[in-house]
Amino acid sequence: MRISPAKRALGALVLTALLAAACGGSDDNGNTTTAAGAGDCPSPDPATPLTLTLAAYSTPREVYGKIIPAFQALWKEDHDDQQVIFQESYGGSTTQSQNVVNGFKADVVALSLAPDVDAIADAGLITHDWTDAPDKGMVSSSVVAFDVRPGNPKGLEDFDDLAQPGVEVLTPDPAQSGGARWNIVGAFGASLEGYAGGKKGDEAAAGELLKGIFSNVTVLDKSARDSIKNFETGNGDVAITYENEIRTAQDAGLEDEMVIPPATVLIENPVAVVDENVDEHCVRDVAEAFVDYLHTQEAKELYTTVGFLRSTDAAEAAKGSDDFPAIKDLFTVDDLGGWDTINDKVFGEPDGIFTKAFAEAQG
Amino acid sequence: MSTPAVAVSLGGRRQKVVRGLLLTLCLSYVVVLLFAPFVGIVYTALKGGISAISETLGRTDVRHAYYLTAIITVLTVLFTTIFGIVVAWVLARDRFRGRAIMNALVDLPFAVSPVIVGLTAVLLFGRGGWFEPFFDARGIQIIFALPSMILVTAFICIPFVIRSVAPILDELGTDEEEAAITLGASPRQTFFRVTLPNIRWGLLYGTALATARSLGEVGAVLIVSGAIQGQTETVPLFILRALEERQEAAGYLIALSLAAMSILILLGIEFLKRRQEKERSL
Amino acid sequence: MSDQALTLGGSSAPSAPKTRGRRLAVPGAWGLRGTALLYLGAMVVLPLTAVVTRGVSAGFEGIKTAITAPAALDALKLTLATAAAATVINAFFGTLLAYVLVRYRFTGRALLGALVDLPFAIPTLVTGVMLVALYGPNSPVGDFLGNHGVHIAFAWPGILLALLFVTLPFIVRTVQPVLLEIDPAEEEASYVLGANGFTTFWRVTLPHLRPAIAGGALLTFARCLSEFGALVIISGNITGKTLTAPVYIFQLVSQFRYEEAAAISMVLFALSFVLVLITEYVLLGRRKSS
Repeated sequence: MRISPAKRALGALVLTALLAAACGGSDDNGNTTTAAGAGDCPSPDPATPLTLTLAAYSTPREVYGKIIPAFQALWKEDHDDQQVIFQESYGGSTTQSQNVVNGFKADVVALSLAPDVDAIADAGLITHDWTDAPDKGMVSSSVVAFDVRPGNPKGLEDFDDLAQPGVEVLTPDPAQSGGARWNIVGAFGASLEGYAGGKKGDEAAAGELLKGIFSNVTVLDKSARDSIKNFETGNGDVAITYENEIRTAQDAGLEDEMVIPPATVLIENPVAVVDENVDEHCVRDVAEAFVDYLHTQEAKELYTTVGFLRSTDAAEAAKGSDDFPAIKDLFTVDDLGGWDTINDKVFGEPDGIFTKAFAEAQG
Repeated sequence: MSTPAVAVSLGGRRQKVVRGLLLTLCLSYVVVLLFAPFVGIVYTALKGGISAISETLGRTDVRHAYYLTAIITVLTVLFTTIFGIVVAWVLARDRFRGRAIMNALVDLPFAVSPVIVGLTAVLLFGRGGWFEPFFDARGIQIIFALPSMILVTAFICIPFVIRSVAPILDELGTDEEEAAITLGASPRQTFFRVTLPNIRWGLLYGTALATARSLGEVGAVLIVSGAIQGQTETVPLFILRALEERQEAAGYLIALSLAAMSILILLGIEFLKRRQEKERSL
Repeated sequence: MSDQALTLGGSSAPSAPKTRGRRLAVPGAWGLRGTALLYLGAMVVLPLTAVVTRGVSAGFEGIKTAITAPAALDALKLTLATAAAATVINAFFGTLLAYVLVRYRFTGRALLGALVDLPFAIPTLVTGVMLVALYGPNSPVGDFLGNHGVHIAFAWPGILLALLFVTLPFIVRTVQPVLLEIDPAEEEASYVLGANGFTTFWRVTLPHLRPAIAGGALLTFARCLSEFGALVIISGNITGKTLTAPVYIFQLVSQFRYEEAAAISMVLFALSFVLVLITEYVLLGRRKSS
């Protein structure tokens, strides 16, 4: 006799429990998980709740906290009282994108910038053209702005002020945070537009600006939310971040001030259904309905009022409104040649303008 | 402490002054270091009053976090206890070459930071990991799901039961067990009727420590779970998120509840320790 | 949450184990031994092999680059420095507390003893939260201190406080059993011969305590090297200033820089492991015979 029967039985029990947890662990809400395609999905039964997993960037927690219940109510009405359960995950946009690529089975991704969605598409998980939606797949927009101390003691007005010696700058890590890349594009583009001490079209000057700013960066947090939280604990003189992130903080009682530089980039946030996962989870209908909902006027109002996000129309966004200051020179990624060009020219390894500037700043 | 004081008699007023100073020093250190922070969190957590408390505790994501932490803790403790008894038994009773290595292996989890544990899970089960093809082909989700969370917590809890049971087995010796077998008991009967009762306080002690450790595990779980609200967000992960979302009161409240649970376990440990020592000295 | 409780609790004097050198009386030994080996092999050896494999996959050059990166060097230096400081401070206060708890009788002695064990029970994350609640910018204490230029939260004092909190019980618990076992006659003789309390302690008592203090100190140091939960909250994680090695490793993992993470992990856990081994086998001499 090798192992006492009692021990063997207990061991078997534990192993069974572990295996049960393993198989049930990926979905403990009753959804059918199949490794096969959509054809294997059972016909919808209103009594069973559906579960939708959302992977989002770090900033829009509060607004999705309002949009999701609105959608849930709508779905319930139209589908015989069927419940949709949402499981949300928020983090740096690029990290989230990588997580989905590496096995995080999100059904819908709401990320900070288009390249992060493209990364998922390139991995084969998104098989449809996600830009073939209203507003080319974008649901909200914002602008790159500065969060400064009350009274703006250092008088920071434009990107080149951030490159001055003695200014401590907070901006997140571009390897993890979408907001970080928007910040860099904002500075780069502003310089190219002739602002922030740059000359129109002068890429070398833009590179110098980036070097100057990143010489002043004291810490690279892993997400935009982490960055602004860090600023709130008293570190740094300025945090470069989304306008809506600053407004959300102010709404929560923060006394910081916001400064919008004269030239800044229009941040456009995409949302997409992840085909492979929705087919596996048999939630394609509700996922697509959710993404459609995010383009509706109702959702746009929530984005604006709760999320402090601007209109997805560039002209409208530049004009501003009662609640949103007008932007002098609002440029878009397309104005700079599109993401492919930017990823190459600015972020490329090893010769990208930012890559070189960062290396020089840190070295 | 449950240990008796062994005072050495000193006379004189100067000794009393010295004693007073030392006591004051000690108490001040403990109060500043331990007590004050505790008071701080109690104040902020309960500031919102009963309504805020019941509102927070009623949230779906909070309840799910408790539920998840409970499952992970129960499974982890069960797993490490059962196999811990086996290892403790082998360490105390068996003699074979490589026993010293086994002994050292048991100590390894103490030396490994939780983030490193998380990294090992990612390297084994994440994309490009050694076991990823195996589980992926069968549609079993390890990372971003419960199994990895249990595995990393279990790794961290491995030494607890072993290190509290092995010395007891060691000291007890095999006399009683040999007697039982001579009298005709089967190994199984011997274990349940003779060995187990003898180690019970040490066993419970190790289990209690493992439980308290599992409740509070954050580093490794943060790495492997993805912190998906309502799916893989444990109580510690919820606390982290609450702080990120500027919901300090909720975060502090839940943190306080975790501290309270752990303190109850501590009291249990103290009680068990006294029982253990009382029994051992008999 | 302490991991060292078990090695330190329980009796200090290893009595001669009664199973020394005896063959197993119970049949089925190989089954149990096999299970134990399989368990430890799968749960301990396998994961750590994965880390070491990944770490060395970049070659010696790769490891060197990972460790000598400015952020890594700063993190390692900070970790070692704060661990050393916490160890020294708690060596002093730990010994003091042990002495007070064993030698003195006073009201609240039991409470003090229980308080000393508090860090074993409280999750490290909660420790961090408590420290932020007390010393963060949103608290009256933190605000007051901040206005006078004293920053505790999100600066190195916060790191030190967190480490002190978490490791407080270690040295107390290694020293206490030894204090209990010392024959009081030695100390009494010293007093009879006219020495005062301090001389007695320094010349008579302390030599007995040195191995225990050293052992507890090494365990404290090793524990400080791996602390994450409290520090990720209280330290502010500022690269080069308050970013410790474990949090740096966490950042590397978040950035999918696994080779670097593995390389630094190897260094960290090799160091901790050696310290734990030295403590248990040399200084405390506990499981040498068992």
